[in-house]
Amino acid sequence: MMASPVVRLTLRGVLARKFRILLTILAVVSGVAFVSGAFILTDSVKGAINNLFVELRGEVDLEIRTKIAFGDSARAERDPVPVSLMKDIAALDGVRLVEANLLRQATIIKPDGEPLKTSGPAFGISWTGPDGLDGRTLLEGAIPTKSGEVAIDKASAKRAGYVLGDSVTVVGPTGKGEFTLVGLTGTGSTSGGGGASVCAFDPITANEFLGAENKADSIYVGITPGAARSDVQKAIEKVLPSGYEVITGEQSAKETAGAINKIIDIFGKVLLGFAAISLFVSAFLIFNTFAIIVSQRLRELALLRAVGASTRQIHLMIIGEGLVVGIIATGLGLLGGLGVAKGITFAFNAAGAAFPAADLLISSRTIILSVLIGIGVTVAAAVVPALRAGRIPPVAAMRPELGFSALQRSKRLIVGIATLATGIALFSIGLFVQPGGTVGTLGGSALGAVLLFLGVASLSTTVAAPVSRAISRILPFPLRPMTNSVPGRLASRNAQRTPRRTASTASALMVGLALVSMVSVVAASVKKSFTDQLKTSVTADFFVTNLSFQGLPVAFGERLAALPELGSVSPFRATRALINGEEKQIGAVKPEMGDLVDIKVEKGSIKSLADGDILLYKDPARDLNVDVGDTIDVTWQNGKTSKLTVGGIYADSSVAGNWLIGLDTLAEVSSAPPVDFFIGAKIADGVSIEDARAAVDKVAADFPSAEVQDQAEFQKSQEDQLNQLLAIVYGLLIFAIFIAILGIANTMALSVFERTREFGLLRAVGMSRRHLKRSVRWEAIIVSVFGATLGIVVGIPLGIAVAIALPDSFVTATVVPINTIVTILIASVVVGIFAAIFPARRAAKLDVLDAIATQ
Amino acid sequence: MTQVSTVAAAGAINASKIYGKDDSEVRALDDVTVDFALGQFTAIMGPSGSGKSTLMHCLAGLDALTSGRVLIGDTDLAQLDDKQLTSLRREKVGFIFQAYNLIPTLSALENITLPMDLGGVKPDQEWLDTVIDKMNLRNRLSHRPSELSGGQQQRVAVARALASRPQIIFADEPTGNLDSKTGAEILAFMKHAVTDLHQTIVMVTHDPVAAAYADRVIFLADGKVVAEIDNPTSELVLDRMKRLGS
Repeated sequence: MMASPVVRLTLRGVLARKFRILLTILAVVSGVAFVSGAFILTDSVKGAINNLFVELRGEVDLEIRTKIAFGDSARAERDPVPVSLMKDIAALDGVRLVEANLLRQATIIKPDGEPLKTSGPAFGISWTGPDGLDGRTLLEGAIPTKSGEVAIDKASAKRAGYVLGDSVTVVGPTGKGEFTLVGLTGTGSTSGGGGASVCAFDPITANEFLGAENKADSIYVGITPGAARSDVQKAIEKVLPSGYEVITGEQSAKETAGAINKIIDIFGKVLLGFAAISLFVSAFLIFNTFAIIVSQRLRELALLRAVGASTRQIHLMIIGEGLVVGIIATGLGLLGGLGVAKGITFAFNAAGAAFPAADLLISSRTIILSVLIGIGVTVAAAVVPALRAGRIPPVAAMRPELGFSALQRSKRLIVGIATLATGIALFSIGLFVQPGGTVGTLGGSALGAVLLFLGVASLSTTVAAPVSRAISRILPFPLRPMTNSVPGRLASRNAQRTPRRTASTASALMVGLALVSMVSVVAASVKKSFTDQLKTSVTADFFVTNLSFQGLPVAFGERLAALPELGSVSPFRATRALINGEEKQIGAVKPEMGDLVDIKVEKGSIKSLADGDILLYKDPARDLNVDVGDTIDVTWQNGKTSKLTVGGIYADSSVAGNWLIGLDTLAEVSSAPPVDFFIGAKIADGVSIEDARAAVDKVAADFPSAEVQDQAEFQKSQEDQLNQLLAIVYGLLIFAIFIAILGIANTMALSVFERTREFGLLRAVGMSRRHLKRSVRWEAIIVSVFGATLGIVVGIPLGIAVAIALPDSFVTATVVPINTIVTILIASVVVGIFAAIFPARRAAKLDVLDAIATQ
Repeated sequence: MTQVSTVAAAGAINASKIYGKDDSEVRALDDVTVDFALGQFTAIMGPSGSGKSTLMHCLAGLDALTSGRVLIGDTDLAQLDDKQLTSLRREKVGFIFQAYNLIPTLSALENITLPMDLGGVKPDQEWLDTVIDKMNLRNRLSHRPSELSGGQQQRVAVARALASRPQIIFADEPTGNLDSKTGAEILAFMKHAVTDLHQTIVMVTHDPVAAAYADRVIFLADGKVVAEIDNPTSELVLDRMKRLGS
């Protein structure tokens, strides 16, 4: 069958310009790779984690646990189950085996005395060996059967440098213990603990060392072969006291995996967000490339029109070329997605994350979405150039100048202003009115930002020429204004000659840099507010935290409180409760917390915590319309209810959160094993800071996972954490800027191609290669600086708006980081130089005679 | 067989084309009325700025008149929208330009059949073969334009103009970019197309030698038809040009 002429022209058109659209393809590839990579990664890791938990549940057919009144089942703090219950269960028909499930924090100490660092949690468990219900395997050695014996997962043992027979120090909830390493365990097919380090003890040792006091987290049940599980489940339900439930092993595995999957989903969504940004920037690049290609093919397109191609056929041809680019790029992007997923897994594993080994899964959803996004973005970006191409009149085949004016006609100004205004309106509504909660806020402001960028991009054409001229006059390059030399003047005039092209090239960079400056304003404001708050509210001399977010064993805080060198000492614990129908996080502290953190009590007193009262932040107090002396109904997660008297209202929630109860109140209502999130301590009167520190460090030596910091160190570590987070965000945004660099390089290369004859002429009248190169390079610099300026001008107000919109408990100050802004400007010059390397070299290489002979 | 039909293939009636406004107004065509008979080879001559190219663009439906009418056959171009003009160009009109006649990404044959392909019409194979052989392109059909000489490229352009058997072919300085020998060859091919294949060609040129291949020469100056010669020779044309110039 004869291909239709439009298809033929389209395919040949792409082939003839393959080098010119290579960079375009590259840009789309990277965007699609991030989209598909995000999906592949989350699918694969989630799949592997599900498998892992199914494997870990092993032979567990049923699990008995206490009920919760509300909240997320997997993250719930359940009351433990008394081990005594096991006897009744074991006596039932159809029950083969009953085991206590006990899992607590336990850190392995390496031979050098340092705690073994893991990216995951550090666990101590009760284990009856591979013949029991737990799915762990014994890879080497024996099962721990008596006091003083431990089995460790093989991967952790290897990393710590322990071999069978070694004496291993483990720190658990009750303190330090010495054990002989008798066995090495694995999980499923792996030799690790699924990202966690795992110390396995026999049930009696576990009960003592892990401080379980004859209580288990839950009870595992294995049924006899042949028995119907539902019958056994019913039988168990009958003997269970109220407040207990029986679930299947599968459900239990699913719940546990689900909690981790949620974190992975968040990670995936962040990746998708950045994919969206890079695709948005890519769209500018595609648009620009196609617009330039259309103007370069003016005569060809006019000729087609003259010999009878309809406007529609021209539209189809250009859009078709977009389609071809989109298809190629999407295909490569999917492959790239595998690379992204592998790369991220590798990077995280190198950092110690121990993602479970997983085959990379490409689901049909991944493919469908990647195809829709990759091809959709490319085709959408080709639509406007295609429409413009359709406007080229056939007479331009003989008189190209008539074609150029047709290409330039547009209602840019009106459309641009309308888009910009809509964008600003949507962005402001999203941020300040916040319709529809988080989704409305994010969606509204993101859509607003997109429109705002498009509007600015469209309007920037109007200012491209004068701003380019201004930039070339101001930039002292290298020592005197650019326009003092011939190459500089040429660069400047060329940037002004095609304002539309200069503007759309700069726009890609504008988007990237606007986001960077926006984030940097928000970040600087958050940082300033955060440090201000820490400075005014934190009065403790020492802070003890555990950076693996697992919290600290209670024993540590108790020993600190007993030190004569310290005055006030209080831990901070947390629990969940239902107040007025909403789930809230409640902090639990000693009244001494008042000496450690200034929560600015406005009414009542923090001392009332000792009487079982509740303290709350002024905002919820206002919302609930309660005052000191009123009572609040609280439902705890285990179903217990309390009527708590309001003992005080405070005005600083930055450290304490919105709700505070006493430690005793917490102990009364919840028997879930307590963990201290952090401990604050003040030096006793008359004790020197050195003596106090030495005393604290001495205790801390027994709890190697604890991190003791004085006030300055604490503030610095909090800032460091914030900086780390920001570094990741900046890193991903820089990727968008990288695509923008591709865009500038591409446009410059296309311009050089277009000006072959002009360059030949310049060389013929005596311009040196060096000058020619310089001219191209400087033009790229002008475009970059133009883009950066636009980006900063757009980004800073956006950042200020976001900083203002953020709640006062989070951001109180608005800061514009001048250093970052200056860095961005300087970086944009470097960007221009990089982008021009290839095009400048190409321009310089042109043969003078060939160049002049070019039509 | 060289009988000249009296039916007009195309014509302009009181055609005027004005560029610009007020002080900068330029009358490119000033009340031109002219007919082009079927089966005739007509040359339009005149100095630069005489309006000869404008007349051709308007006749071919590439440009619109300010006032007056243009007819292709009995179709009034002013009545047509862009879509109808497009199909008119595809079916009734052929073009040969001075340069850049061919789509660089298509082979010679694909270029020749392009108008019909665009219209979704199957070419008349017998006629196509006749045209290809007449233009002596049989061995060059699979070549890309960049692999062809200037003369060969122009022959492909002539073949394309002929291939759809249009009512009329417009040629804009078809030999302007060629050396005189190759130019003569192209003009001979065009002459054959008229005499042997009964096509109608209107050619804009400023070369008296080229004009001598035509059956009739129309002279334009300042947007007006100022003279006509039937069965011209290059001497006659040159002589008339001198007189017009003085």
